[in-house]
Amino acid sequence: MSKIKAKRVGFRLDMTPMVDVAFLLLTFFMLTTKFRPPEAVTIDLPSSHSNMKLPESDVLTVTVAKDNSLYMGVSSQRTRERLFDTVVRPKLENAGLSKAAVADSLRKFRFDDSFKIEKEELARYIMMSRLADQRLRPVIRADNKADYEAVNYVIKVYKKMNLLNFNLVTVLEREVR
Amino acid sequence: MGMVDSPNERRGSKRSARQRKRLGFKLDMTPMVDVAFLLLTFFMLTTTFAKSNTMEINIPPETGEVAVAELNVMTLRVPGDGFAYWSLGEAAPRRVPLYDSADAHASLGSELRQVLRQETGKNRKMVIVVRISDKAKYKALVDIIDEFNLMKIDRFSLDEFTPEDEAATQRAVAMR
Repeated sequence: MSKIKAKRVGFRLDMTPMVDVAFLLLTFFMLTTKFRPPEAVTIDLPSSHSNMKLPESDVLTVTVAKDNSLYMGVSSQRTRERLFDTVVRPKLENAGLSKAAVADSLRKFRFDDSFKIEKEELARYIMMSRLADQRLRPVIRADNKADYEAVNYVIKVYKKMNLLNFNLVTVLEREVR
Repeated sequence: MGMVDSPNERRGSKRSARQRKRLGFKLDMTPMVDVAFLLLTFFMLTTTFAKSNTMEINIPPETGEVAVAELNVMTLRVPGDGFAYWSLGEAAPRRVPLYDSADAHASLGSELRQVLRQETGKNRKMVIVVRISDKAKYKALVDIIDEFNLMKIDRFSLDEFTPEDEAATQRAVAMR
């Protein structure tokens, strides 16, 4: 009360700890941010009003591109490895690739979101991935302009394997009705 | 504050005697902090976890036929010529345009929507059988199912488009 406080004009604040924290966070974000790997094909997804979200894990995606070519991918790296060991590895070894080359392909395969697949092989690959991971959820990601024939082919394959409940990937349509 | 020890070097010239030694000068860090936080907030705000939307579909197993009375069945055929052909039971199919505009993300045509709303409104037991030809585009399937979801129609099924369907749609065109 009786003490008269000296006015503190222009005091200096030590900013060092704040700078430390800021840079720590900044470097963390900069180093851990992964840019999306360039996709093999660009897919123009159809729009719908559904706002169900795609689950993040245990997803088996079959992509149908605009030119009706098929691509397949599984979400988890462990399943990819198993798929590689059961399907791709024998193929490469039969083709006479060296061990180092096969290991190299595996490294690439592990980080590949999806890989091109022939129509006739689809059923076998899906079966193998399901053997590798029982909980896989089937998803179809088809281009707006893909022929119904190609999509129907995938649906039939799913149907044959008794996968009767699957998802179609869409983008949200803003138009409200 | 950021104290920086200056390298205490002696240049060995006469000037150094006159120059005051700068021991530990102060550095203003504010601009650096500004930049750091700017970048930080930018990265924090622009990082998104990409998740797509999906639409769920259930298809019936190959075995197990469900008998439905003929008057409760509406068949919707999409042969891929830009039109949809709808028919009640065994009646002759009628033709409506599938889309109003040629936009890549257009919704179904208003006429078709009206037909669906009318017919399902008239008959609560209506089951819609959708038959899409291989020649049609995938977009038609998504739009039709999306429309059903919006109209809360849950009694529909996907079926194979057969040559008979093709013939039926051809007849509908010829009748016009």
